[in-house]
Amino acid sequence: MLARQNQSKALQWLGKQLFNREDPAAFFDPLLERVNPMWVQQYTPARVVQTLQETSDTKTFVLKPARRWQGFEAGQHVNICVDIDGTRRNRTFSLSSSPILWQSQGLITLTIKRLPGGLVTNWLHDHLEVGAVLGLGEAFGDFLIPEVATPVLFIAGGSGITPVLSQLETMAAQDYRAPVSLLYYVRTSEDVIAGEKLEALAARYPALTLSIIPTHDGASPRYLSDGDLGTVPGLNGRQIFLCGPKGLMDLAEELLQSRGVRERDIHCTYFSAPRANLEHQALGGQVQFSHSNIEVGSEGDANLLEIAEAAGLTPQYGCRMGICHQCSCRKTSGTVINRLTGQASGPGEENVQLCISVPQGPVSIDV
Amino acid sequence: MKTMTEAQLSELERDLNVIRDAVVADLGERDAQYIRRIVRLHRTLEVGGRVMMPFGFIPPVFVAATAALGISKIIENMEIGHNVMHGQYDWMNDPGLHSQTYEWDTVCTGESWRRTHNYEHHTYTNIIGKDRDYGYALLRLSDDDKWKPQHTLQFINYILLSVFFQWGVGLHELESERIRRGEIRLRDKLPFLKDFFRKGGRQAFKDYLFFPLITFPVAPVVLAGNLGANLIRNLWSSTVIFCGHFTQDAETFTEAECEGESKGHWYLRQLTGSSNFTGGKWVHLLSGHLSYQIEHHVFPDLPAHRYPEISEQVQAVCRKHGIPYNTGSFARQYGTVLKRIFAFSLPDRLRARVPALTMGQAT
Repeated sequence: MLARQNQSKALQWLGKQLFNREDPAAFFDPLLERVNPMWVQQYTPARVVQTLQETSDTKTFVLKPARRWQGFEAGQHVNICVDIDGTRRNRTFSLSSSPILWQSQGLITLTIKRLPGGLVTNWLHDHLEVGAVLGLGEAFGDFLIPEVATPVLFIAGGSGITPVLSQLETMAAQDYRAPVSLLYYVRTSEDVIAGEKLEALAARYPALTLSIIPTHDGASPRYLSDGDLGTVPGLNGRQIFLCGPKGLMDLAEELLQSRGVRERDIHCTYFSAPRANLEHQALGGQVQFSHSNIEVGSEGDANLLEIAEAAGLTPQYGCRMGICHQCSCRKTSGTVINRLTGQASGPGEENVQLCISVPQGPVSIDV
Repeated sequence: MKTMTEAQLSELERDLNVIRDAVVADLGERDAQYIRRIVRLHRTLEVGGRVMMPFGFIPPVFVAATAALGISKIIENMEIGHNVMHGQYDWMNDPGLHSQTYEWDTVCTGESWRRTHNYEHHTYTNIIGKDRDYGYALLRLSDDDKWKPQHTLQFINYILLSVFFQWGVGLHELESERIRRGEIRLRDKLPFLKDFFRKGGRQAFKDYLFFPLITFPVAPVVLAGNLGANLIRNLWSSTVIFCGHFTQDAETFTEAECEGESKGHWYLRQLTGSSNFTGGKWVHLLSGHLSYQIEHHVFPDLPAHRYPEISEQVQAVCRKHGIPYNTGSFARQYGTVLKRIFAFSLPDRLRARVPALTMGQAT
């Protein structure tokens, strides 16, 4: 959920009495937004102060969040929300700047790559300009640098470098005194994100060993190999951080395990992958009802309401034909197909009508 | 009700779905801007009304403040609250405009209204015995209810219902008529009553206690203005809603004829059970576009400001299938509502003797 300003109990009570809402300040949002979008109370606003083209398909957005934003630790992600053609879209991105930048200048950066067919990433690239304001959530995630300096290996692929950028910068600033290695896989040398920044870091931070490996520069692809791991001294004593496409992460985990690296020394973070060609994929999937802690599998075109009821749950419902919206619930992840329109939902957090939503792959619902 | 074969009903369903699909495909920025503009208008009117009210000891200011607050409540209840809670703007994914979380500025809680209105009324529209909105279990508006002597005075009941409309709507889920008949016990309704008193208390506290008290020296003026604003809202919303289903030609249905009905049949029932009235842009805005009650009942979750745009297409579908499209000026439609309330207050024999009081339907 997006961050809200904490209101005192008395204000909350008064808000309920006068405006039928917990947060009385949000009542004035529609007016405040017109005067200054940074005064909005319903979510934490952040203004775009600069955009930087990193590669042909990757941009860094420098944001200035309202001062009440709570800050973050290196390696964490953040939800942002933007209105695209009238619809509010939430997406998660890693913060690519160091917390020091936020503490000293009140700025954060998001480094975002265009996903093929991606609604939000492409919109951000094409429409999010300096001066625009978006909604920012509080930071979350436990992809964090070890508290006590121990040797570290980062294995990053493509835009999976973004949380690592924040971590390396933080380590350099803290003078983290243990060997740090980065194996950074990119398609071609043109696809290196923040290449200059990485080189500069390596130059001023001697503990860092940097290897940037293009996978498709040669005649045949050159993926992560056991040999690459062999170049990292003391591999088995390192904390290993993986971030990148699923293929790279799976391969890395397999190779690391075969080298006897313990599971608990491996830390992963996933970022959402686009689901191409929705209509050709089969319906059904694992449905997780998060409030009740029940997970059930579904097949075919059973809708979420039927699935929930078959699992013994009794969500609120009404007409069971998509009219009354009694059964609308929060979907926290996964894709559903609207039975009435045949349209696929986004993968992120949004409200769906249980009685006409058919899961397509794994779905999490707040029921 | 007009009789149609299943094949004709399927065709009707397809024709209406075409209209719906086109609007759904087109939803976007324009609709979001529209509802956000209306929300801003509401906030401006409410803030303006509240700020002006303490200066209401100057008569023209009193009129302006009361009108601003009254109109703000009308817009909030009709064009924002009613429509948002129908899920018309759920696609915007904005928690401030979402059907499951919206709480409106009236006594009825959003939860209760979603059950009684969104579900009961919109699913079982005008089915006598299932749609409790038909006459609000208070008025006899069709032959389906047997005449009793107390119905003679139902015009008074109607006026009281209009004056205290928000409290009537708030108490609708109590199902007092079923408690009277002994079908349910008051105790079953305790959770509902708790919510009712909490929300009703809040509404009364704000308008009749808080705002008068913080402007203490002019408390009577503020109290009178707030009472006036609520009264304006009650009378107007009650009138709009009565014009939507209780006009002379709005049809009623029996449970038997709607058993296991198809979507096409449901559409037919919505078309013939609802009635529109014509008017200027402001009339439509202030009625939450329930002046397009027919379009609303056929497509309750399409943004209401779209109804004027699709009305011509809906009428064309009606013409094609030979289904009446019940519309007329506000005065004409409201006149027939008053006529219906009066006509059914009389015993059937007496009413039959006055040709002017025949209602244009047979069930």
